[in-house]
Amino acid sequence: MQRLLEQASRRAEEADATVKSDETVTLLVESGQLTRTAWSQERGTSLRVRSAGRIGVAGSTAADTAALIEAALSSAALGDEVDLLLPAPAPLPPVRTHSPAAEVASVADLAALGQGLLERLGREGLQVNVTVERSAGSVRVANTRGVEATYDVTAVTLAAEVTRVAGDGILTVGDHYAGADLPGEPAVSALAESIMRRVRWAERSATPPRGELPVLFTPAGTAALFLPIRQACLGKAVLRGVSPFGGRLGEQAFDASLTVTDDPWIPGATGSRAIDDEGVATRRLALVRGGVISGFIYDLETAALAAVPATGHARRHTFGKPQASYSNLVVTPGRSTWEDLVGGITDGLVVDELIGVGQGNVIGGAFAHPVALAYRVVNGEITGRVKDAAVTGNAYELLSRIGGLGRDLERRGSLAVPPILLEGVSVAPR
Amino acid sequence: MKNRLRDALQSSRADYTEIRLERSVTSAVTFRGARLEGATVSTDVGGFVRCLNRGCGWGMASFTAIDDLRAMVARAHELSLAVRLDAPIRLAEVPIHEADVDLPLGGDVRGIPLDVKKRHLESLNTLMLERDRRIVDTQSAYRDEVVEYWYANSEGTLLSELRPEVTLSAVAVARDQGTIERALESLGRRSGWDAVQGREDQFLAAADRAVALLAAPRVRGGTYPVVLDSKLAGVFVHEAFGHLSEADTGYETPQARERMTLGRRVGGPDLTIGDDGSAAALRGTLPFDDEGTPTRNTVLVQNGVLVGRLHSRETAARMGEAATGNARALSFRHPPIVRMTNTYIANGQGTREDLLRGIPLGIYACDAQGGQACLEDFSFTAGHGYMIRDGQLAELVKDVVIAGNLTSSPSW
Repeated sequence: MQRLLEQASRRAEEADATVKSDETVTLLVESGQLTRTAWSQERGTSLRVRSAGRIGVAGSTAADTAALIEAALSSAALGDEVDLLLPAPAPLPPVRTHSPAAEVASVADLAALGQGLLERLGREGLQVNVTVERSAGSVRVANTRGVEATYDVTAVTLAAEVTRVAGDGILTVGDHYAGADLPGEPAVSALAESIMRRVRWAERSATPPRGELPVLFTPAGTAALFLPIRQACLGKAVLRGVSPFGGRLGEQAFDASLTVTDDPWIPGATGSRAIDDEGVATRRLALVRGGVISGFIYDLETAALAAVPATGHARRHTFGKPQASYSNLVVTPGRSTWEDLVGGITDGLVVDELIGVGQGNVIGGAFAHPVALAYRVVNGEITGRVKDAAVTGNAYELLSRIGGLGRDLERRGSLAVPPILLEGVSVAPR
Repeated sequence: MKNRLRDALQSSRADYTEIRLERSVTSAVTFRGARLEGATVSTDVGGFVRCLNRGCGWGMASFTAIDDLRAMVARAHELSLAVRLDAPIRLAEVPIHEADVDLPLGGDVRGIPLDVKKRHLESLNTLMLERDRRIVDTQSAYRDEVVEYWYANSEGTLLSELRPEVTLSAVAVARDQGTIERALESLGRRSGWDAVQGREDQFLAAADRAVALLAAPRVRGGTYPVVLDSKLAGVFVHEAFGHLSEADTGYETPQARERMTLGRRVGGPDLTIGDDGSAAALRGTLPFDDEGTPTRNTVLVQNGVLVGRLHSRETAARMGEAATGNARALSFRHPPIVRMTNTYIANGQGTREDLLRGIPLGIYACDAQGGQACLEDFSFTAGHGYMIRDGQLAELVKDVVIAGNLTSSPSW
């Protein structure tokens, strides 16, 4: 990689590159047997050059460095003039991204992990599929200003999907664990319990309520609420003028209990890393603090165009330009227990999964989704699964008056969110 | 390369082994408005090995490290041995082929410099931007690819191919005060530089339509007889019928199998549907699929009656039918699965005017912006449409969304 940069720097003013390599094993376990296996290996190089003030990028999975440099230079010949300053070396925080035990786990070990979860979920009348995936690899980042970093990465996913075919329809419940480490006994138990709890809640069916009601979003159910904030805090959206948060840094836009932080330093979490893919040291960044809009994320190019510092959020794949994306998003938990939150609802809904999240004009905040998994709450008790209902609202408005924030943070891969109770969500049968 | 493939196959201890290798070079240019968003050249090299052993399942390995094929074969073999299946996998017989097939390159894109490609797209994009002052934004994209491809299996099939592909797309955005409209044109061919020449009319058409839609009324919701133009009919037959013909996912449930029983009547006597991977220079055209089976014309519906379906070697053997050359892999990163190639509705008897003639009030729906089918229910968004009044095309209308049920829609 140093050789690549050295060769590139003879033809260009500056250059930076990433080399990412990994090996991934994927196993599917069904009714007690390993029914599908796959292994994949990938190594790719992404090179960026600045030549005559113009930026060019090129990517390759081949070993031919001369061709890669030519491709980057031909891209730069047509590229934009951007006053992009590559970072100099800086001290890096210690961030754990790798687990030796996960790296060396054999196919048999991984199959046993899947089998363990399968056994916990096996019940009469339930069809269970378990997927286990383990990848291990490394990331190298370097530039012609002296940045050179290498770190190892492991990623383990354990996922289960349970299907129950009853007389009146099909129930599908899924959940997963993701992290750098192999899930231990407590994590596997928690995963199994989280799935079985939903299956129990869905044993009976309930009629959908109607009106402006309190709705308790489970951590899994909050996706529709936080997607608009994720899009609105992208520096690129702010720069283009399409973010509703543009020009509003420092404004109290949400309930004072809402704090959303991007945290790349959580040990072993999916999005954790000490240095980003452009060589910028990562840091914690509050997007919303105490309800106040407080930060946006930037890659080097977007930061240069917006005349702000880069935030250490660039991700870069073999093909294409570096782009800013979140590491781990954490919503600061509150004080309420799950029982407090459900117990306080006279008539309302628990929303666990919505259909079509991410479609339409997400950044506007408005959502209208049929429920995939939701449960009716009457007088503080879950009475059964609600089908054929839809929830409608505006995420920005609803999050400006939070009815209750759970104290228990659930971590799923790169997201950590507590349950959130919102008042006055529009619920209608469909 | 062929010797390396033979050597790796000989080293395999599995009952069946196949190897694919690809080396693709891609150029991509995109404009947004007058601004060049990107111009890049990428190289992607990699391979895929599948092994199968009696009583076991597939073991699969994909990789970019193509230097040690023997190690990849050994890995896929080991993974195959780890899999136990109740229903054994069998593969339908396919004749052994040894062939070098270079598809016509239609003007080899590898000889054209990136800045020439950029200038070509820029001139097309500028046509849209300068067409009308109400055109406020555009998105234009050019992409080409030439894939050097090798396939070999332990039965003796050994293929080398050169597979070109080129795509061009135009989006025009028009605005008049608060109204914003978009129009899209696109093109995809298994061909090269020649296929993107003389496309000025398509880019101008996108701009003109976006502007025309500004003043067009919304279609009035209701139940109408609908005539589809050939683009929308193509998307419709792909989504609402084609996927059901794929003998893997389309046949998973008993209900699906029942619905797709051969001999069942699914349409009128004028309706013939097929899938032809051997047609000349279309986007889905290939001499062989990614299991080394020659592509062919497979008739799916003959005069309204279901007569065929699409197969890989595995699904063909399971259903006691012949492989149809429809096992396709997106790239070396993916296993082959049953997918359509070029799906068509054969010509009927009359002209478009004949179709319209008998309709007092209806809609002629054009261009697909999106579509989804869930079993027999479907929903498609047309790019635009025209009212049909007294058997003739009348005014342009927008926001045309067609929804219905496949079997209860008599329009087939």
